Amino acid sequence: MEVACLRVPNFLVALARREFPQLAGRPVIVASAREDGAQVRACSASLAKRGVAPGMALRRALSLCRDAAVATISERDAAREAEALRELVERTSPLVEEVAPGHLHFDVRGLARLAGETEKEFLRDLQEAARSRSGLPVALGAGKNVFVAHAASAAAWLRRGSSGDLLPLLVPAEESESFLAPLPVEVLPVSRTMKVRLRLFGLRTLADVAALPRAALEAQFGREGGRAWELAHGEDDSRIIPRREELSVSVAMELPAPASTVEPLLVATRALIRRALEERALRGAAWRQARWEAALENGETVGRTLTFREPTADGERMLFVLRQKLERLSLPASVVGLELTLSGLCTEYGHQQGFWPTGPRRWRELLEAVEQLHARLGEPHVFRIVEVEPWSRIPERQLALVPFGR
Amino acid sequence: MVAHPRTSARPGTVRPLNLPRPIAVEADSSGQPVRVFWQGRLLPVIAIHDRWRIDDEWWREEIARRYFLVELQGGRRLTIFQDLLRDAWYEQPYEPPRRKRSPMSA
Repeated sequence: MEVACLRVPNFLVALARREFPQLAGRPVIVASAREDGAQVRACSASLAKRGVAPGMALRRALSLCRDAAVATISERDAAREAEALRELVERTSPLVEEVAPGHLHFDVRGLARLAGETEKEFLRDLQEAARSRSGLPVALGAGKNVFVAHAASAAAWLRRGSSGDLLPLLVPAEESESFLAPLPVEVLPVSRTMKVRLRLFGLRTLADVAALPRAALEAQFGREGGRAWELAHGEDDSRIIPRREELSVSVAMELPAPASTVEPLLVATRALIRRALEERALRGAAWRQARWEAALENGETVGRTLTFREPTADGERMLFVLRQKLERLSLPASVVGLELTLSGLCTEYGHQQGFWPTGPRRWRELLEAVEQLHARLGEPHVFRIVEVEPWSRIPERQLALVPFGR
Repeated sequence: MVAHPRTSARPGTVRPLNLPRPIAVEADSSGQPVRVFWQGRLLPVIAIHDRWRIDDEWWREEIARRYFLVELQGGRRLTIFQDLLRDAWYEQPYEPPRRKRSPMSA
């Protein structure tokens, strides 16, 4: 085995079922919020068959399936669960790619030998660890390449027993093609349109696709057709691309008293920015983005994400941008705590400053300073260059110095 | 640089820029510079890259200059001119006129 695929099928719905056990056995819609204009983020498989799809207005989805139960899962909670799953796998494998929340591809070469187990034991232990840690159903498949592993995890989910037991599915390299052959074309990582067209052509399984000449598929579907043909034959040269480690710094504080006006929030935010910028390891670094979150007295959280036009290490500049957002903020309850996260670490852009700082106020200050200098020294010592006769052929006629400010 | 204000400059407040600086030049019989005294040394002229003449302002204080763009030994380039009225040599960086004379400024 070279690659494994671990996934929580229908991640958001699985989260909702875990959070709300009363949803067991019922069709579930996970919506973005319980408000007018809310959208479907995910739905259970039975609802998908009845026409519900992610992105659909919740009202419309409910009109299609009146018996559906609606649940909301905050993006933050979903991200935290996905991260916990990823961290568990990252502790095992050095090369992990998060394809989607709750869906991971990772390198397993040599890991079983390292753990002193067979491959089957190793994957079973990993699956059990993920399942018990998350409390979610976890499907696991492994194969000679990314697509075979991906298809194996899909097949493992489809083959789960009536009791819901999920076992890892390992596909030996020499059996890859025969394993893939009966799988439906829906496992192919191709566009939705292509999947529909494959069905219209009467191609239901990967064996049907593999049986066609490659050129015929390419003639119909272009490069995507060629790739589908390769995958159907168990050939996949795609690589696992691990995520890039992104540095960020987070600071938080509890307010001494609940705040309902913007002034104390600005004071607290200024203190948070200062603390964040003084972080020893990252002092002097510039940041692209700031995430500001306020914990409210009623238990809700209100947040704003700011992307700076240019990376900055200047706390006053960050506060200036944040102030504009905060002054427009209307809070349903008093703020009891704040959290600030700076991310997008990079170097600050260089700036060419003007020789004379612009602005009428600075200009007046400059004129005043020059006048004082002239008064003290008795005669002009600061000049500016003016064109006198720029058309003249005689060099000393072209330009002249005149006292500055006169 | 400030654009030309199109007003006459007040006398006493304007200092011309780029005034000619006297320089010692040794010329041959045809009037071409052959050696220039530059920074305490008499350096031979190894090339004359350009030459031109200015005759102007004959209606007030006449100007008659013969300019040379010379290269001295060591690679230094200088613009020098001979004041044909006073028979004296000067060094003066030269910039060609940037704009044509305004028809209203004559």
